[in-house]
Amino acid sequence: MLYLQVLINGLVLGGLYACIAVGFSLVWGVLNVINILHGSFVILGSYVAYFAYVHLGIHPFYSIILAGAVLFALGYALQLGLINRVVGAPVLTTLVLTFGLDLLLNNAMLVAFSADYRSIQLANPLGRMDLGEVTLPLDRVASMLFALGLTGLLYLLLGRSRIGRAIVAVRMDREAAALMGVRVRRVYAITFGVGAMMAGAAGSLLALIFPISPLNSSEFLGIAFVVCVMGGLGSITGAMIGGLALGVIESFAALFIGPEHGLTIAFTLLILLLMFKPTGIMGRRGYE
Amino acid sequence: MAEPLMQIQGLESGYGEIQVLWGIDLEVHEQELVSLIGSNGAGKTTLLKTISGLVPPTNGSVLIDGEEYAGRRPDQMLTAGVAQVPEGRRLFRTMSVRDNLLMGAYMRPQNDPGIREDYERVMAMFPRLAERARQDAGTLSGGEQQMCAIGRGIMGRPRLLMIDELSLGLAPRAVEMLIESLLELNRAGVAILLVEQDVATALDLAHRAYVVDRGRIAMSGTARELADAPEVREAYMGI
Ligand SMILES: Nc1ncnc2c1ncn2[C@@H]1O[C@H](COP(=O)(O)OP(=O)(O)O)[C@@H](O)[C@H]1O
Ligand SMILES: [Mg+2]
Repeated sequence: MLYLQVLINGLVLGGLYACIAVGFSLVWGVLNVINILHGSFVILGSYVAYFAYVHLGIHPFYSIILAGAVLFALGYALQLGLINRVVGAPVLTTLVLTFGLDLLLNNAMLVAFSADYRSIQLANPLGRMDLGEVTLPLDRVASMLFALGLTGLLYLLLGRSRIGRAIVAVRMDREAAALMGVRVRRVYAITFGVGAMMAGAAGSLLALIFPISPLNSSEFLGIAFVVCVMGGLGSITGAMIGGLALGVIESFAALFIGPEHGLTIAFTLLILLLMFKPTGIMGRRGYE
Repeated sequence: MAEPLMQIQGLESGYGEIQVLWGIDLEVHEQELVSLIGSNGAGKTTLLKTISGLVPPTNGSVLIDGEEYAGRRPDQMLTAGVAQVPEGRRLFRTMSVRDNLLMGAYMRPQNDPGIREDYERVMAMFPRLAERARQDAGTLSGGEQQMCAIGRGIMGRPRLLMIDELSLGLAPRAVEMLIESLLELNRAGVAILLVEQDVATALDLAHRAYVVDRGRIAMSGTARELADAPEVREAYMGI
């Protein structure tokens, strides 16, 4: 029963990890940009949810929309104004640019919000549900379901919508996509905006679970990076599976070795996995 | 003679510092089939890419129905009715054949009933594709891929279809089928600008042709004239 509980906790965490990683993976896969800003995007989403709750009484589940919209706009503008200038440059160049932008954004948040950890205390929490010896923390479970739902929506958007097909086409062959009439630079901006939007939405959900501070951004970036490498680049299902796997591994590592080592152990196991299966869980297809 | 569908004058372009085209003059009329021949590296692909908006021109003009289109984006060229089937097919490999064809109709309103019609037309033209509509495009044979690439071009309902290297690397039987389909398309009213390394075939199909040499038009005329010209026979047909 203890193991079942740990598994559930891991899946809850993992659903949120998937949502954090999926936008990062999309941007990496389509633009070939490793977006160092991603962790700060998540934090900014958390702050949007925090202030919306504290000042306006908007529940973080509703703030998904608000945080998503704010972050989409920010991501779209950054891509169109700045990052589009270096797309296609060697990966180091784009890395340096997003690294610099991350320093700016993260420090701006430190100045504006301070490094103090804040958290949302819900006035009406959903509480817990006991199923025999297993307990479901309902707010967390609901967050995880929202996170997986959003990831699923993104999957549908890519597969079914016109803009989604354009994004996939650009990922496979930029020039051929242009010959179909796809406006590649605009698709880049939208893709980056969608990546940021997913980060913002994830941040909004995480605001219920983790303390909020700009200092956490590198941890979220690390999670996104590992999940995405593990699941295969640019693959939504890969990010979903990778996120869930990371959450579960982290939970069990915390149980067996100690909570403070959970992520460290998880990252170490992933390095081992990659040594034996360098294409990630989803294999080559994720790259195409 | 009526105003050409496309009239190119003094077109120059290249890649960064490297100039490839040095003043191309060329025209294609409604419903014409025009071939471009020339050795490897002559600049044929660069010419098509410059017309379709993938490579920006540095000089010269591209008139469509008398209106200036030089330097426009690819989506604007498609709206003007000019589509390009790129060298090497360049299909979206992990999309199905059907989705590849639908990408060809990307610019058209999604509820346009003509899309369905054109899809059926492509399927009728290439029954092999109909059998493989749900397969990933990457699993097709070379000839089938070229059918899919041409079908994808047709799905944009162009008035001028530019095809880069129709037969390169394909089996003779596949090439024959593709040629039949092109002639059918042309009879249906679509003008074609064809780049084809098999010079005998290129001149056999076309109404008129141009010889591109080091970024310039070296010769032009009716396909007949060029096929009979000693320079062409010697340099490109090995006779
Ligand atoms: N992307 C590119 N960057 C730089 N030079 C190029 C590029 N593509 C083609 N070239 C050069 O332009 C010239 C013409 O090439 P191309 O248009 O492909 O000729 P063709 O299609 O007639 O074989 C060649 O010398 C080629 O090396
Ligand atoms: Mg070529």
